[in-house]
Amino acid sequence: MEIPPPVLPPSAAPSLIEAAGLTKLYGDFPAVTDLSFSVRAGEVIGLVGPNGAGKTTTLRCLSGIIPPTRGSVQICGHTMGLDPIEAKRCLAFFPDEPRLFDYLTVAQHLTFTARIYNVAHYQETARGLLEELEIADKADKLPGELSRGMKQKLAIACGFLHAPRAIFFDEPLTGLDPLGIRRMKDSIVKRAAAGAAILISSHLLHLLEEVCSHVLILKDGRKIIDGTMDEVRQKFSEVSAGANLEEIFFRATGENKGP
Amino acid sequence: MGRALLYYEWHSRWNRLRARLRRLRQPKYLVGAVVGGLYFYWYVFGALRGRGRAGVTPPALAPEHWALVESLAALVLLVVLLLMWIIPHERAALMFTEAEVAFLFPAPVGRRTLIHFKLIKSQTAILFSALFMTLIGRWGGGHYLFHAIGWWGVLSIVNLHLLGSSFARTLLLERGISNWRRRLFFLGGAGLAAAGVFLWARRALPPPPDFLNARDLSAFTGYAGQLLQSGPLPWLLAPFRWAVAPLFAADAKTLCLALVPVLGIIALHYWWVIRSNVAFEEASVELSRKFADRVAAMRSGNWQAMSKPRKGKRPPFALGPLGWPAVAIFWKNLISAGQFFTGRAWFFLILVTVFAGGFTRSVSQHSGAGAALAILAVSLGVMSLLYGPAILRHDFRQDLRVADILKLYPMPGWQVVLGEVLAPVAILAGAQWVLLILAFLLCPAELGGAPAPLILRIAIALSAALVLPCVDFIALLLPNAAALIFPAWVQLGKDTPRGFETMGQQLILMFGQILVLTLTMLPAGLAGVAAYLIAGWLLGKLMAVAVVSGALAAALVLAAEAAVGVRLLGSVFERFDWSEGSPE
Repeated sequence: MEIPPPVLPPSAAPSLIEAAGLTKLYGDFPAVTDLSFSVRAGEVIGLVGPNGAGKTTTLRCLSGIIPPTRGSVQICGHTMGLDPIEAKRCLAFFPDEPRLFDYLTVAQHLTFTARIYNVAHYQETARGLLEELEIADKADKLPGELSRGMKQKLAIACGFLHAPRAIFFDEPLTGLDPLGIRRMKDSIVKRAAAGAAILISSHLLHLLEEVCSHVLILKDGRKIIDGTMDEVRQKFSEVSAGANLEEIFFRATGENKGP
Repeated sequence: MGRALLYYEWHSRWNRLRARLRRLRQPKYLVGAVVGGLYFYWYVFGALRGRGRAGVTPPALAPEHWALVESLAALVLLVVLLLMWIIPHERAALMFTEAEVAFLFPAPVGRRTLIHFKLIKSQTAILFSALFMTLIGRWGGGHYLFHAIGWWGVLSIVNLHLLGSSFARTLLLERGISNWRRRLFFLGGAGLAAAGVFLWARRALPPPPDFLNARDLSAFTGYAGQLLQSGPLPWLLAPFRWAVAPLFAADAKTLCLALVPVLGIIALHYWWVIRSNVAFEEASVELSRKFADRVAAMRSGNWQAMSKPRKGKRPPFALGPLGWPAVAIFWKNLISAGQFFTGRAWFFLILVTVFAGGFTRSVSQHSGAGAALAILAVSLGVMSLLYGPAILRHDFRQDLRVADILKLYPMPGWQVVLGEVLAPVAILAGAQWVLLILAFLLCPAELGGAPAPLILRIAIALSAALVLPCVDFIALLLPNAAALIFPAWVQLGKDTPRGFETMGQQLILMFGQILVLTLTMLPAGLAGVAAYLIAGWLLGKLMAVAVVSGALAAALVLAAEAAVGVRLLGSVFERFDWSEGSPE
């Protein structure tokens, strides 16, 4: 099945993820500097940048894992610094490595997550997610008995259980097989079409090109450019109209493309 | 090739040492190193210097017990080696790191060289273990050096036997002899030997002493001495006694004589291992991969990877989707603690305790054994207050490495703290209640010469049952506070840090926790005493009520302190920035 091209949401859609002047220092080292952007419902933004650009730090600040040094974050209209519980209630963060509890089975992970997010009647949703992700027959298995891809699927099932409206992915395709990659892309597009705001950090530029409506390029913790793919192309006028994200990336970051 | 392997081993260890020396530039490691070094000096070198001045110190055990202890040590060694043939089921595999597998296995390195490499590598661990055992095991008296040499011999034999038996098991499997047939053979052999010894003892020895009504240990030691030092057992244990003999050498000459058979046994084992023509490469690759997975999992936060669960555990109770999220963390941590911590298991444990206590009380009314057991139960309860919080780590110390996931949860910080601390508190308090039931059932009607009527004993037991969970909560809150406030100083998960510096850090933390615990106990103690005196003054002879009143007041103060602690720690967790406090 072909993935439908990303559809730009109407500009009236509410902004579900907002960063204003986001800055994160590790000691004296600025990991992210004065970053501002927003993601509206239905948008999928690709967060791109070379290693050490501050992508993961940005995602962790946005999802409330680490506090920003300066600036503010709003998730679904709730300010993370002032109302973190309501902000976290409507977000999901998927790190590059699935973080699971070794001693909980697949089913127990979902029971645990349901209680954490107070998801009433979660069983039906959980069953649907497990079936959609093709791990329904692994309900009694421990993470140690699952392959890397299946662990990733379990993490996704837990993350989607409370129907988040702001979703953050950090390298979502790591360890997935081709079918898993296809399903993940479908899932991202489907969630966006259902009104979620999605931010994906990845080095796989062709993936971002397929699923993202917007792109945000970071370098050394600073925003180089953001906007729709066409807007970004226009800003780099020397790149042809049909240039792909890889070419834009190398132009924008000044990285050497190599031989 | 051998030189390349030695080069690798030497430089790996040297670089590791340099890295540890480099981290002493950080004050937290430097302070830890100073404290750890002082402790080590006081404990080890101080004792060694004392011994050096005194020459060979008199044995800690009476000489007439030495032969018995030697025979017991030989018996333990026999059992350990026997278990190597009974318990394992895997094929032979040598543990290599993934890097060693990647570099050595495709390289033109012979199987024998790989075994030699592993044997040389294992010697480092054996030498450290021998040193450690020497330092902690001064029970036999004798010179430290003799002990160290003795332990080196025993550990080398155990290591070689472990390797040799794994090769032999693989050979047996390749010849179609299943694990169960092998186990039956060895268990049958052990059973026959045990039956032979039993029949001989029944015929040749006087009846064993009355275990329930014995007043001291001399009857046991006398009987055990006869059993181990006459009849068939000395013959059966002879090679094992040779192996442990250097541990009991009183002088250099005895040691040298005792070392001859030990070296012979080591040489025989070495010959056995080297001559075994068993393919271990495939299983070793698999083992290395599993080990690397566990290390990676631990580093990424899954401390349970060290004791990876094989199958899912029964949840302690049914967790509904609505309600306090803190209960979910409590539920999760109880599952991580193991299969045993379910309501049903506790119910059966209490039932067994009640029956066992009642039975012991009925059969030992005149011997004092019941009272001794009651004292033991109370002592264990007191010890659990000291050691419980260090042993039960199903809290932040387990979960802090997945702090990023915890911080994602839409929960106020104090609820996360409460959920994290509750599981070890419940387990510790449950264990203490079981001990309390046992102590209550076996408690004599007189305490310290004064009569203790049943109502007073019930009051004391109830008071202890009331106060203990509160004390446990605070005692467990402290290491969790240390983990959140000084994450780089605390051992997280089972990823045990090493060296003087980390030992010193742990000592500083331990003393800090004891100090804070003492300070938090003071107001509760004062409130308890005040309530006891007031109730005693008001109620006159109703001492039981006064005791419970005192306990209630103390428990209330402790609960209030705990609530304040949870709130404070909750705000610490909310501000917690893992990126700034992650340990090296």
